[in-house]
Amino acid sequence: MQLMDRFRATAVGRSLFRSPDRVTERDRAAGHWANFLLHIYPVKVHRREIEFRYSWYLGVASAVLFGSLVASGIYLMFFYVPSPASAYGNIQAIQTEVAFGQFVRNVHRWSANLMVIAVAAHMARVFYRGAYKPPREFNWVIGVVLLVLTLLLSFTGYLLPWDQLAYWAVTVGTSMADFVPFIGGTTREMLLGGDQVGSATLLRFYVLHVAVLPAALVAVLAIHLWRWRKDSMLDDGEG
Amino acid sequence: MADPTTDPGRTQPQLAAGRRVLGIVPGTPATGTRKEPDRDEMVMVWPHLLVRHAVAALAVLAVVLVLAVLFDAPLREIANPTNTPNPEKAPWYFAALQELLSLFHPQVAGVLVPTAILVGLAALPYIDRNPETSPGRRKVVVATFTIFLVLWVVLTVIGFAFRGPNWDWVWPWVEWHGEL
Repeated sequence: MQLMDRFRATAVGRSLFRSPDRVTERDRAAGHWANFLLHIYPVKVHRREIEFRYSWYLGVASAVLFGSLVASGIYLMFFYVPSPASAYGNIQAIQTEVAFGQFVRNVHRWSANLMVIAVAAHMARVFYRGAYKPPREFNWVIGVVLLVLTLLLSFTGYLLPWDQLAYWAVTVGTSMADFVPFIGGTTREMLLGGDQVGSATLLRFYVLHVAVLPAALVAVLAIHLWRWRKDSMLDDGEG
Repeated sequence: MADPTTDPGRTQPQLAAGRRVLGIVPGTPATGTRKEPDRDEMVMVWPHLLVRHAVAALAVLAVVLVLAVLFDAPLREIANPTNTPNPEKAPWYFAALQELLSLFHPQVAGVLVPTAILVGLAALPYIDRNPETSPGRRKVVVATFTIFLVLWVVLTVIGFAFRGPNWDWVWPWVEWHGEL
């Protein structure tokens, strides 16, 4: 740490870190406040909020799994074309020819399943803690939106391998939309791009899976975390 | 005070627990009283929360790594719109809905129930206005939530592992039809 402090005192060090020397706690708080990467965190939290039994770290687990999904998903995108003619062959090539392809696909699949579990468990933990009480009511509602987005991301990704499992799971899933009064049939056709799962469906699910839904999730997650940060800085003695 | 080196009454040192007592000073210890961590106290996020988050992140990634090394993601034969598999299963997180669909009219199981769940969840903080946070002092809402949660988990497990061809009951150790 002394070496670090000496480096921070140099001209280069001062230009790198937009923060004063960390002598007092106030300096450290100022350093935290000025740090871009740390801006999603509050500067201070209640001691009880950092304990395992408070949250079981399920929120951060969900976020880490999302990060793992983005990283592995981008790698898979390099080797995948969303068309019925190529999709299945691409997955086979990923599993047999692409470097670490099978492993990366496994990471993506497992992270997706675990993220659904982590998000649901996070919600249950927040419920049992009563952490949805004022002033956090609306952040709970945002959390429900995030749960729906997680399920939609998982479901749209389910179709992409274009195997029997994917095809018929999505056929079953989307057939439920038919029973929604008035808008059901239209919604289903918009989703599928036709009256049954086909090439238009694959392209639509792909675009939803790699662009629309991740962007929506990041945007809503930003609000979720921003509200969490604001609320955890409140010294209300309630947590 | 008499010089201790010349005072005959003070030549023998006083002993306490095998140690020589040099003096007794009134007041609190110079190093402060023993500090019990106060759970309501505010602590710096760096390092206290961030190291915990880092450890949690590594633990999660370790689980993913182990699962990814041990179990391959499934890939069946290429999609064939003319060959419907039996059973025809939705992804596991919709298994509870699919199970409900086999028990009730589709408009109830496929539309009413999911809508009620999502609206009910979103409305929860506005329905439950009890300011208490400890589970013991809000028994009604905790019991209600737990019943629905258990019901949902049971339906998911049944739909995922206990249903075979024609959505008939199978024992998962006899026939396995679950797919992740």
